[in-house]
Amino acid sequence: MPDGGGAVSATGKPGSRSMIDRIFGSLHLPLRDPFAIMGLAIYVAFIVAAIFADRLATHDPTEILFIESYDLASDRRPGEDGFVLGTTSLGRDIFSQLVYGSRSALLIGLTAAFVVALIGTLVGLIAGYFGGIIDIVLMRLADIAFGIPFLPFVIVLAAFLDPSIWNVVLAMGLVLWRDTGRVIRSQVLTLRTRAYVEAARVSGSSDLKIVFRHIAPNILPLSFLYGSIAIGWAILTEASISFLGFGDPQTISWGYMLQDAFASQALSNRAYYWFIPPGLCIILVVAAGFFISRGYEEVLFPKLKE
Amino acid sequence: MRDVFQTAAAAALLVTGGVSSVLAAGDKIRGFSIVSRPQAAQPAEFQFVNIIAQEWRKLGIDVEVDVMPWEQMADLVWYNRDKWDVTGWQMVGRPERSDPDELIYNLYHSSTAPKGYNFLGYINPKYDQVVEAQRVETDADKRQALLNQAQAILAEDQPALMLVHPKSTFAFDKTIWDASTAVDQGGIGIKNTWTFISLAPLGDQQDIILNSSDNIQAINPLFISGGTDSWITELVWDRLLRIGPDGLPRPWAAESYEWTGATTIEVTLRDGMRWHDGQPVTAEDVKFSFEAAMGDEAPMYKPFVSNIAAIDTDGNKITFTLSKPSASFTTSSLAKLNLIPKHIWEPVLTDLASKDENAETYQEENPVGSGPYRFASWTTNEEVVLEANEGHWSAPKAERWVLRIVPNTEAALGMLRSGEINFLSDFPGDARILLNAAEEDGDLEVVSTVDIGFRYLAFNNRRQPFDNPAFRRALSFAINRDLIVGAAFKGFAVKSNSVISPALPFWHNAAIVEFETGTDLAKRILDDAGYEVIDGKLHYPNGVKETLGD
Amino acid sequence: MLDLKQLGGRLLQFVFVLWAVVTILFLMFRLMPGNPLAAYIDPTFTEEQQQILTAKFGLDRPLWEQYFVYVGNLLRGEFGDSFFYRQPVFERVLSLLPNTLILTFSSLIVAYIFGIVVGAWLAWKRGRLVEQAAIPFVLTTRAMPEFWLGMLLLALFSFNLGWFPAGGTRSPGAEFDGYLDLYTSVDFLAHLALPAATLAIYSQGLPLLLMRSNMLDVMREDFVTMARIKGLGNWTVVVRHAARNALLPVMTSFAIAVGYQIQGNVVVESVFSWPGLGRELVNAVSASDYPLAQGAFVMIAVVVVTMNLIADMLYGFLDPRVSRA
Repeated sequence: MPDGGGAVSATGKPGSRSMIDRIFGSLHLPLRDPFAIMGLAIYVAFIVAAIFADRLATHDPTEILFIESYDLASDRRPGEDGFVLGTTSLGRDIFSQLVYGSRSALLIGLTAAFVVALIGTLVGLIAGYFGGIIDIVLMRLADIAFGIPFLPFVIVLAAFLDPSIWNVVLAMGLVLWRDTGRVIRSQVLTLRTRAYVEAARVSGSSDLKIVFRHIAPNILPLSFLYGSIAIGWAILTEASISFLGFGDPQTISWGYMLQDAFASQALSNRAYYWFIPPGLCIILVVAAGFFISRGYEEVLFPKLKE
Repeated sequence: MRDVFQTAAAAALLVTGGVSSVLAAGDKIRGFSIVSRPQAAQPAEFQFVNIIAQEWRKLGIDVEVDVMPWEQMADLVWYNRDKWDVTGWQMVGRPERSDPDELIYNLYHSSTAPKGYNFLGYINPKYDQVVEAQRVETDADKRQALLNQAQAILAEDQPALMLVHPKSTFAFDKTIWDASTAVDQGGIGIKNTWTFISLAPLGDQQDIILNSSDNIQAINPLFISGGTDSWITELVWDRLLRIGPDGLPRPWAAESYEWTGATTIEVTLRDGMRWHDGQPVTAEDVKFSFEAAMGDEAPMYKPFVSNIAAIDTDGNKITFTLSKPSASFTTSSLAKLNLIPKHIWEPVLTDLASKDENAETYQEENPVGSGPYRFASWTTNEEVVLEANEGHWSAPKAERWVLRIVPNTEAALGMLRSGEINFLSDFPGDARILLNAAEEDGDLEVVSTVDIGFRYLAFNNRRQPFDNPAFRRALSFAINRDLIVGAAFKGFAVKSNSVISPALPFWHNAAIVEFETGTDLAKRILDDAGYEVIDGKLHYPNGVKETLGD
Repeated sequence: MLDLKQLGGRLLQFVFVLWAVVTILFLMFRLMPGNPLAAYIDPTFTEEQQQILTAKFGLDRPLWEQYFVYVGNLLRGEFGDSFFYRQPVFERVLSLLPNTLILTFSSLIVAYIFGIVVGAWLAWKRGRLVEQAAIPFVLTTRAMPEFWLGMLLLALFSFNLGWFPAGGTRSPGAEFDGYLDLYTSVDFLAHLALPAATLAIYSQGLPLLLMRSNMLDVMREDFVTMARIKGLGNWTVVVRHAARNALLPVMTSFAIAVGYQIQGNVVVESVFSWPGLGRELVNAVSASDYPLAQGAFVMIAVVVVTMNLIADMLYGFLDPRVSRA
């Protein structure tokens, strides 16, 4: 990974500002698509919540709360004793957990998206452009990654690493680059034969320059498309892993909240205020990623639009 | 060998630690962590560990909570005995723990410190002496006095911070089962063999349908496997004695038994018993059952028969001769071993003797016992069905006993209300919610019983700063047990200061349970022992060096 | 069409991927910290007994030797003995496979029928309000955590309404004459309904969106226009011409979906007490039962890799232009 990052900045050096412009320009943010705008708006809302979590939250999300000394503030209904969304059965503030949960969700989601998109893009670029033995090796690796059942893999990984939200990111980085890698490779294969790439090659540009200057900008939207899907995958996976009991017990996430709620029989206790909000937050953020990716599809494959 | 030196060193420190109380302060006490299992698996433990950490910080100690799953915790605490500081732990109630010996001896006798149950490394020669004496004392009153003394020593030394004896809570549908026929076994609760035999149906539903969140590991009379498995083995196989609802052993397959000397006990076998395949149960079968455990093919049962020197049969009488007197022999041996048919197991054991495997890996296709229920079917990870053995002298009132595997607690509760199960035999969840559900539903009977088992926080007595009893006392007395009962167990527990539960009233030392607690008291104890608070951090008494560092 | 050489190549790839997955799995389990038998050896065991057990599971041998034994055993269908159950892993895992496959296939068949019909219909309604509203709705169903949806369905249809049983594959103590009798019984289908519905709701999005976009593609092609000009009714055109052509690629995606779905089962099996491979894997991992976890994992991986192979071959079969990737 550090190598890849270095390569980008190296080529960008002569005029790094124009490089940034070019990257943004080549992103083709799908700002005409109403879904995509909705998706982006959801992201912005959650990012704001995550940044200002400590101000929005009314309590420390892990603190055991007492009404008076030795009287645990457990199972409070929303609004009761000033708890916005009530408290858990072990006396933690639900609203504050929800707010802090957006931090881990975005942290996991965005990192995983970045890792998956970066690895997938690099693999696709290198395999597609250089071809030959490199291509064969990378694509066989992709075959193997396709043969690994993802969720079971995360479970096994989580079992022997210390429980941490980063396990999900690690597992995604190890396995889920496969889709991105394959798609980008085939895109690169068609781009490679384009006239301007040929021209650059004839004029003596280095491979590195051709890849990152002429090809990469054209596939960046594709990377973003897969990245925005990966955000959702990461958050859903973290939730599933938490539900099965392999989650990080020290980090408040929405998956952790749901797991806590189910383990405390919140359904039987009709504590809807406890297990509905985290579920809705997950749906919102994951769906937002899908909306954006859909917006991208319409930009990339305009025939659907008409 | 290393362990021996370590425990010796710990014992030496124990002596020096108590006496120093001079003016200038020693080193700052290093920060340490309390090990807990995750909230998901053990909400109450996670909760009390966090509360205790909050309370201890008030004394000027840096305390962290270290959460890890059970396998890691067991590996650390059990197999790396000098590597941890404080851990949440529990002893579960089992019928054979109705005799106090197993807990009071194994948990704190110095001989079990290197590898056995005394994992926290408590060494006290005086204590050893007392618990050894109660072991061979067959006079109940004298034994009671010795056990009271042992409990008092532990209360003084506080090798561990005893918290609570939880209440086991179970429920059943009282429109299906006659509520008066459920038997509440002291320290165990209504989920027990006596209930499964006597529970009487009121209507057409004649099957006891119960739940377990754990899968069945094995149905094997020579293998002590998962906790749920033992519900089945207790019903399919008879034992000479059984632990009664009062916690004391009573004759079962034995018609009667009698101590004929300090080390000999004569058992008379009940007449007319038959194995589920129709063969008669004989004294030879009984002898064979015990000898099977004395051999090498059933290692988990071996400790329970190691005291047997000889077994003789004469007609329907079996005489056990012991190597040394044992107060708990009836409970821990006669009421523990399953009676197995010689005609089935003899060829199996002979065959196994020539192999690497032992009887623990042998799963009978169709298990045969002589118990009140006989095996009918087993569907992997789904259910086990037993049928009433009508020919048994204590035949069950129910027709079948169906154990369903339900990994999801929420689903188990829902199933109880919808009638998919009618006996909630495994409920690790919030008992208050169960009570609320029962109130709404109207059909459910919920019974809570104080457990023989207990939850506690073990100090690693081998390691500084926990090698000093004063320090342990201070940490222990800082914690209000009522707070733990309320905030971690939702009131479904009683506070504890002894390894012998109030569920065993004859052996339990009630005098040591009530004591004052609080941060101020803890500070006073520390102050008296020479500990000092400097810049908000607790320091050792003068001259004491921190040997382990941060 | 596939020629023999291509077929051979694909089979070779199939074997290669399986070997790689199995090797990765071996390394993961053996490089785990801690004694793999720690959770399994009872504290009452003597040191000698512990050594015997360690030797029995081959854990005292060098890693490479363990590896060859492991691969050799797998080739003979020998998955070793479970630490926890002390029984052969292969039989256990094999007995749970049908439950998982039935859940997977039934939910996907429902999802595909629904997805194909509704997808075609939405393509037909292109640009209308109903289509505009349906797409984000479909995307949202894919954004739901499966266990959350499962728990809600459980609470509603089982606990509150009492329409369906809450867990397992059969009523307590119900007896059946063999698997066929069980799987065709009303009792089994009632138990299957909720878990299958949960998975189906989650997985209908893929065939639906795929069908819709394929339909849009096909409807632009000449022969559809021709049919329209010929004056055939609109719906007839859609069903007779467009749908038939749009369907094939959707059907190929079924094979891949099986591979994906079987992984998602892990969670749903836990919610609905369904005795399948996924739950077995979760239990085995929690209990540090490595042979069993390995066995369950390998079994799931075999299904995934096989389905990938089938999908691969179907693509090649349907579209000869696709050469070996």
